[in-house]
Amino acid sequence: VRLRRYLRCVRTLMDYPPARHLLRDLRLHFEHDDGPRSRAWMPVVPEICDDDGAVRAGALAILVDVIGGGLAARVAQPDWIATADLSLHCTAPATRGEVEARGRVLRSGRTTQVLEVTLHCESARVGIATMSFSVLPRRASNPDMEDVNAGTSGPSTMALPESRLDAPLEALAGIEVIDAAQGIVELPVREWAMNSMGALQGGVVGVVVGAAAEAALRAASGEPLVVTDLQLTYLSFGKVGPLRTRTDVLALGDGHGTARVTLTDDGAEARRMTSARVIASKALS
Amino acid sequence: MPANMGTDIMRFARLEMAEVEEFHVEGFARTVDHLRGPSGAVRAGALMTMLDSAGGVCGGLASLPDGWVVTTNMFARRVSLEPTGPLKIDARILRKGRNSVVATVEIGDAASGHLVLDGVLTSAILVPEDGPPVWERPMRMVPPDDFVPMAIDEWVGASVVDATTLEMPMRDTLRNPWGILHGGVTAALVDLVTEHATGGVCTDMVLHYLAPNRVGPVTAHAEVLGERSDGTVLRVEVRDLGADRVTAVAIATAAVVSEPPSWA
Repeated sequence: VRLRRYLRCVRTLMDYPPARHLLRDLRLHFEHDDGPRSRAWMPVVPEICDDDGAVRAGALAILVDVIGGGLAARVAQPDWIATADLSLHCTAPATRGEVEARGRVLRSGRTTQVLEVTLHCESARVGIATMSFSVLPRRASNPDMEDVNAGTSGPSTMALPESRLDAPLEALAGIEVIDAAQGIVELPVREWAMNSMGALQGGVVGVVVGAAAEAALRAASGEPLVVTDLQLTYLSFGKVGPLRTRTDVLALGDGHGTARVTLTDDGAEARRMTSARVIASKALS
Repeated sequence: MPANMGTDIMRFARLEMAEVEEFHVEGFARTVDHLRGPSGAVRAGALMTMLDSAGGVCGGLASLPDGWVVTTNMFARRVSLEPTGPLKIDARILRKGRNSVVATVEIGDAASGHLVLDGVLTSAILVPEDGPPVWERPMRMVPPDDFVPMAIDEWVGASVVDATTLEMPMRDTLRNPWGILHGGVTAALVDLVTEHATGGVCTDMVLHYLAPNRVGPVTAHAEVLGERSDGTVLRVEVRDLGADRVTAVAIATAAVVSEPPSWA
């Protein structure tokens, strides 16, 4: 069984990401250096935007997760890392051009790392994010970042010429709203949205949690609120599916609301994957 | 370790705690009037101190006998600015790993049961030099009797440096069992500078501890990142001036309140 698992991991890594994958279809591009900083860019396209034309918090969470995870893994080598949490605060709308993410390491310790990522669009700051990681001993199934980085210093991208989003991000992730008022959404674990470990990608967790909270807070408030803040605490991987949310609306204010969302892997005995706090407000201006 | 080390934390927060079952700690703050801010609600800094204390003890007990804990970050959202209290604190373990432990902490009004603050605390599991602390189980802690009520800015000893910066001295009574500034005190300083820089009330805080505050004085500097319908978003950087390093970074949100805060 262990050998089969190991071979599956190796196969996943060798094929990762597949030709159709969010890391390609979002047309992200990166610029790494050898220091504790990285930059990445994500084009603003309608498939990742809300009704007001601003990039959704969930899409920004993917950008943050990708740049943060890559930077943390490089800094931790030869050890490996596991994402422990991610916070995102949006401060202005990103509506055109590209969103630029600038990541830097705030702390690099023996057992933990902390990163900060600032988000910019058209020369204006549009948000700030933090991530922390547990530093773990390397396993044979973890990618070697020296190999991954070989020949990729400077600009790089995973996008293929044909890569693009052909539907809204939530639809491509397979998110189905089961009960909007209760904030219950479900999704399968699709190859398109998997990380290199065969589990739901950490930023996509933000998309799912945001969709659940936004549905519940819109139903409770009767207002077209949009997610502005995410606080995600990762507890375990979602590898089996279906994945399912449970949402508690904690507070409603004048033009904003707060919800707590728990994401579980129902195919793995409803194991708790993520505990999240989400704030939704009137559209940012 | 000085005999008075850490005694101000329990004395100030008036927090009593008990281990009700494995991985579950309950607390009560029965005397909270001295912890209230200008809106009449208990201040975010005091709530974060309770979160850090209850979540930390819950995580620490879950980590025994392998080690004890030091807080690495706190996420918290204030969901009510009503003048509630006394308060009930409920801390439960969400996940315990080899190197870290995650606790969820809810703080509610003891009478109505209404939620006041919802948060998560993550701690690293470390082995102290003299080995993990020995606790009588089930754990029970009560605050010292010699209680002199004081406002949170007086307790911390904060003074104004400029329009966006506060400073506090290091005092042994504000150190935790590791001998460094208690995480709740750092959160209280972040709360104070958030209010000082904006005139609003802190409703949301993400706080990452990067290095210990050992020497002092300790400063907190706030930078406004943007304005939203729910308030002003700030980045706060905490420094140990004596050690010349950044010790914590926080992202906080300050909501506008009708009455000006006492600190402004």
